[in-house]
Amino acid sequence: MHIKTVGVVGVGTMGQGIAEMLASKGLDVIIIERSDERLAYGKQMIEVSLDKQIEKWALTKSEKKLIMNRIEPTTSYEKLAGCELVIETITEDLELKKAVFEEIDNICGPEVILASNTSTLSLTELASVTKHPERVIGMHFIYPVFKIDLVEIVRGLKTSEETFVRTKHFVEEIINKKGVMVFESPGFVTTRLICLFINEALHVLEEGVASAEDIDNAMRIGYSFQHGPFEMCDRFGLDSVLAALDRMFREYGELKYRPSIVLKKMVRAGHLGAKSGVGFFKYDKDGDRI
Amino acid sequence: MKVLVINAGSSSLKYQLYDMRDESVLASGRVERIGMDSSIVTHEPVDKPEVRNVSEILDHVTAVKRVVDMLTHPEYGAISHLNEIEAVGHRVVHGGEVFSSSVLVTQEVKLEIRRLFDLAPLHNPAHMMGISAVESNLPDVPQAVVFDTAFHQTMPNTSYLYPIPTVLYRRHKIRRYGFHGTSHSYVSAQAAEYLKKPLESIKMITCHIGNGASCAAILNGKSFDTSMGMTPLEGLMMGTRSGDIDPAIVPFVMNKEELTLNEVNSMLNKHSGMLAISGISSDMREVTEAMLDGDKNAKLAFDMYAYRVKKYIGAYAAAMNGVDTIVFTAGVGENSVALRKAICEGISFLGIDLDEERNAERRKDAREITTDSSRVKVLVVPTNEELLIARDTYNLVKQAKTV
Repeated sequence: MHIKTVGVVGVGTMGQGIAEMLASKGLDVIIIERSDERLAYGKQMIEVSLDKQIEKWALTKSEKKLIMNRIEPTTSYEKLAGCELVIETITEDLELKKAVFEEIDNICGPEVILASNTSTLSLTELASVTKHPERVIGMHFIYPVFKIDLVEIVRGLKTSEETFVRTKHFVEEIINKKGVMVFESPGFVTTRLICLFINEALHVLEEGVASAEDIDNAMRIGYSFQHGPFEMCDRFGLDSVLAALDRMFREYGELKYRPSIVLKKMVRAGHLGAKSGVGFFKYDKDGDRI
Repeated sequence: MKVLVINAGSSSLKYQLYDMRDESVLASGRVERIGMDSSIVTHEPVDKPEVRNVSEILDHVTAVKRVVDMLTHPEYGAISHLNEIEAVGHRVVHGGEVFSSSVLVTQEVKLEIRRLFDLAPLHNPAHMMGISAVESNLPDVPQAVVFDTAFHQTMPNTSYLYPIPTVLYRRHKIRRYGFHGTSHSYVSAQAAEYLKKPLESIKMITCHIGNGASCAAILNGKSFDTSMGMTPLEGLMMGTRSGDIDPAIVPFVMNKEELTLNEVNSMLNKHSGMLAISGISSDMREVTEAMLDGDKNAKLAFDMYAYRVKKYIGAYAAAMNGVDTIVFTAGVGENSVALRKAICEGISFLGIDLDEERNAERRKDAREITTDSSRVKVLVVPTNEELLIARDTYNLVKQAKTV
C-alpha cells in the first residue's frame, strides 16, 4: 500500500519535527493533540521552525505555505482512518501510550502500520493491547528530525517481516533517511549509548574535573560532535534524558545507568534545557543559545 | 503522423499533440500534483474550450492514462482512437556525454539515462517515469528522447573542461554540459532561416532568457560555448539563481552562517539572482515596473542583470573573433523591451544599432530589432522546444520505418 497520508499523534518537540519533515517530503500529515491549545501551539512551533529555515535560505515562503497546507491539525482520532501510517509520539509513559495504541488500533484498518517513536519503552508491550500486533513497529527519529537522516526501526517480538520491509522502504525511499534495524531492547542503540555519554559527562562535572563549557568544547572539537554532551542534553530536554536513564536503570539493573544526582536536581528545579530557557546553558525563545 | 510530446516532472506532466503533416498543435495540457488525492488535469484542445478535471492520480502510469483518455475523449478529445498516436517524444534534461543528438528509446538508452541520475537527480528520474508510463499505456508506440544537453556536445574541451584536478572529470564526469540546448538549437536555425543565410556562415550568440537564462556561442552552426555548466546554476544572473560567483564564497558562507549543504544549495538556487538584489521579485516584469516607479534596489537588480548578459555577449564575440547575429528568446528575451534595450545600447562598438521602434513592437513571430544598416543583426525569435522535440521524434521514427 502506497503511503501518502501519515498521522502523527502528539505534537511535542518530536511530533513537531516529524510532522514538519513528513510534510516537507510531500506527504499529507494529520496531527493530533489532546486539546486545541496544545494543537495550536504545536502548529505554531512548526511554523517557527520553517521560518528559521527560510532565514537560513533552506526554504522559500511559497514552499513554507505548501508545507503548512499539507498539515491538518485535529483533536479527533477518527481522522486517522484515512492514514496508511500512524506515528505515535506522545510523552514516554507506558500507560498513556498503551491507551493511544488501543484507540488507533480500533480506528485504523489492519494493513495500516502503527509506529511508536518511543526511545526506551517495549514495543511488544505496546503491541499487546492491539488486535494486530504484527503491524506495530518502532520508528525512533532523532532530534532535530529534519537534519538527522537516521531512523532506528525497532522490531517488537510480534512485528511481521512485511511490516518491517514496508517501514524500511518508507524510511529509505520516501523520506530518504537511513534505516537501521534494531531488535527491541531498552534504549535501542542510539539512546542507550548517548545517555550513558551524557551521564558520564555529568559525573565528570560533579567530580569537579572540568566546567560544563570545557567538557562540551573538549568533546565537540576533539571528537567532531556537533554539540557537546551538555548542550546535547539541553536540546533533548533534561527531563527526557532523566526518564530514559531511569527506565534503562530499572530494566537493566546496572549501576552505570543510574541517573546523576545533578540531573535529578535540575529537573526538579524546572531547568529542562532549551525548551525552558535554562539547562546547563541559557537559551532564547527560539532555542538559540544566548 | 501524429506525435505526442511529453515533459515529465516528478509531480507534473506537460503534453502536446502535433499533427506533423503541417506541424499544427491538436491539443495540449498538463497534469499537476501527481501522487495526490486531488491531481488536476488541464486539457486544452485547439478549437474547443479548456477542460479541467480533479481526481486521484498516484503515479505517472495513471497520469499518462488520463492524458490518453483526454486525447481520445468523444467530446473534447483531439483524435478518435489512440492508435492515431504514432510516436511519443520526451524531453530529457541530462544526456551526459553519451547523447549528442536525439535518439529512439531502447533498452540501452534507458540504462544510460538511469546512469545519469547522479548528474540530474531532480529531473532524469522523473523523465524515466514518464518513459515507462508511456510504455505501459502505449506498448507498441515508438518513443524518442530529446536532451537539453545534446546540442552543446559539440563544445571543444577548451570550453567544457573546468580548470580543477582532472581526476574529478574522469571519476565523476564533472565538466560543463550546458542546458536549454533544444531552444538554442531551434532559435539559431530559425534565425538563419529568417536571415536567408546558411547557419554555418553566421557567428551567432543566442540568449535564452526566461526563469533560467543562458547564452550560447554558435560557430559554424554548432554550439561552441554556453554559459550554463555542470548544472543550470552557472553563468548569467537569473530570477532566483546567482549565476557566476567566486566558488570560495560557498565554503566561506557555510562556515560563517553555519549552513548545511542543502541550505547553501537552496540559497544559490532559490534565494539569489534578481529576487535577492531587488528584494521584490524574481519576475522581470515586476522588477522593471518597480524600477520605473523609482525603486533603487529594483534598478540595481535590472542593471546587474543586463550587465551580466552584456559581459557574456562580449566574451563570446571575442571567443568567436566576431559576431554577426544576436538572438533573444524565451519569456523575458521575447517580451522585455527594456532589457533588450539596456543590453544592446551599451555594446554599440560591436556594430549594433538598435532600432527603438522595432524593439518596442510586440509580435509573435521572428523579427529584427536593429536598423537596416546595423552591421550586427539583433533578432527576437520565439522559442518552441516542443515543436523541435516533435520534429526530432517524427524524423527518427520515419527513418526507422524506412530502414
